[in-house]
Amino acid sequence: MKTNYEGCALCDATWGEYWREIEGQNMFFCCNICADAYENMIGEVKKKTGWEELDYVEITGNYRLGRTCRATKGDSEYKYFFRHENGNITQFEER
Amino acid sequence: MKCTVCNYNSSSMDYADLGGHFIDMASESDADHIMWLNRFITKSKTGRQDLANMLREFFELNESGLKRWIINRFVSNFFSEPPHLFIGAMQSPERKVLLGYVVEHHHFLKQWIKSCAYVIAKTDNEDVQMYEMENIMAEMHGFGSKTPSHHELLLRMGESLGLPRETVLMSEPLPATRKAIELWGNLSRNSHWIEIMAAMHSLELIATRGLEKYGAKYSYFDPAIFQRSDIPNEVKDFLREGYDADASHSDEALNLIEKYSDEYGDIQAIQATFIRSMVAFDSYLNARLERGEQYENEL
Repeated sequence: MKTNYEGCALCDATWGEYWREIEGQNMFFCCNICADAYENMIGEVKKKTGWEELDYVEITGNYRLGRTCRATKGDSEYKYFFRHENGNITQFEER
Repeated sequence: MKCTVCNYNSSSMDYADLGGHFIDMASESDADHIMWLNRFITKSKTGRQDLANMLREFFELNESGLKRWIINRFVSNFFSEPPHLFIGAMQSPERKVLLGYVVEHHHFLKQWIKSCAYVIAKTDNEDVQMYEMENIMAEMHGFGSKTPSHHELLLRMGESLGLPRETVLMSEPLPATRKAIELWGNLSRNSHWIEIMAAMHSLELIATRGLEKYGAKYSYFDPAIFQRSDIPNEVKDFLREGYDADASHSDEALNLIEKYSDEYGDIQAIQATFIRSMVAFDSYLNARLERGEQYENEL
């Protein structure tokens, strides 16, 4: 699963040193909250789409305003918006 | 120097010391410190001296002084483009937004008067004490039946929208509200009174009119709401009270803070405590929206 960020997979920050295996891939995050939010977000996408895995996730936005995203699996694409508090998804909408 | 995130407070007046603290916390992947750096300073990992320079710039008062620094930071956080989500929602508020406002703000006000009381207890300056006493009366006690408290107007707003006051009074705050209340309680118990004032009364800027001259792109709500026939009078009464009161409340408080800040001496501590409170307030405003979403289908 590829992402559009080079830093933390959720927020692109390069602070911190937190690693977590998600979808079989060891991913860099700045903190555990970002890792929780990312993992929960991926779970939500899989639930909504029925996909067993994702090829690519593109994220724009931030914690305060929420994040607009695009996930792909093969030729399929799924666009969505989400917000989180302490890593728990508080809003998730297909866009 | 005081940290804007935790209770760290060193006697050093060197920003390199504060920068070192943030780097230490970031290297431990501490979420709160990293989120603060990402939001206010930089998302890119930097060295101690570069970070010290950025922090110095962040806290720089320049010639306009402490009051203006606080207003600028507040306006930038809540009223810039795009605005805080709650401010956006308040431009034409749906019922659920107002319901969330009622419940979470009830808990806010319960803490508010405690913080005001701490200021009274910690100072001998009568102008400050009088200011806080008037504030407590206006927010929670009222001035007789013709001038109910802000809290009473809040409960009436809820009732006009179908939310019984008993439901509000029996409610528990959402986690973000609880966390913010705990912070304000801790700050009130452990900080100098002038820091408490900065932490609490700066928040009244949220409803202050005329912030456009400080760069605000939005006001707390669109005053056209007062002309709308579909909005209950109780909602208008509540909003009008805050609209009228907080304009003078925040200005008077910021003047008092500025007046006594030189006497106190530690300006950076006032700034740091204000920022800590503002970040908690930001999350608390999101809790109002979260509560509204919960109530949308229940009430």
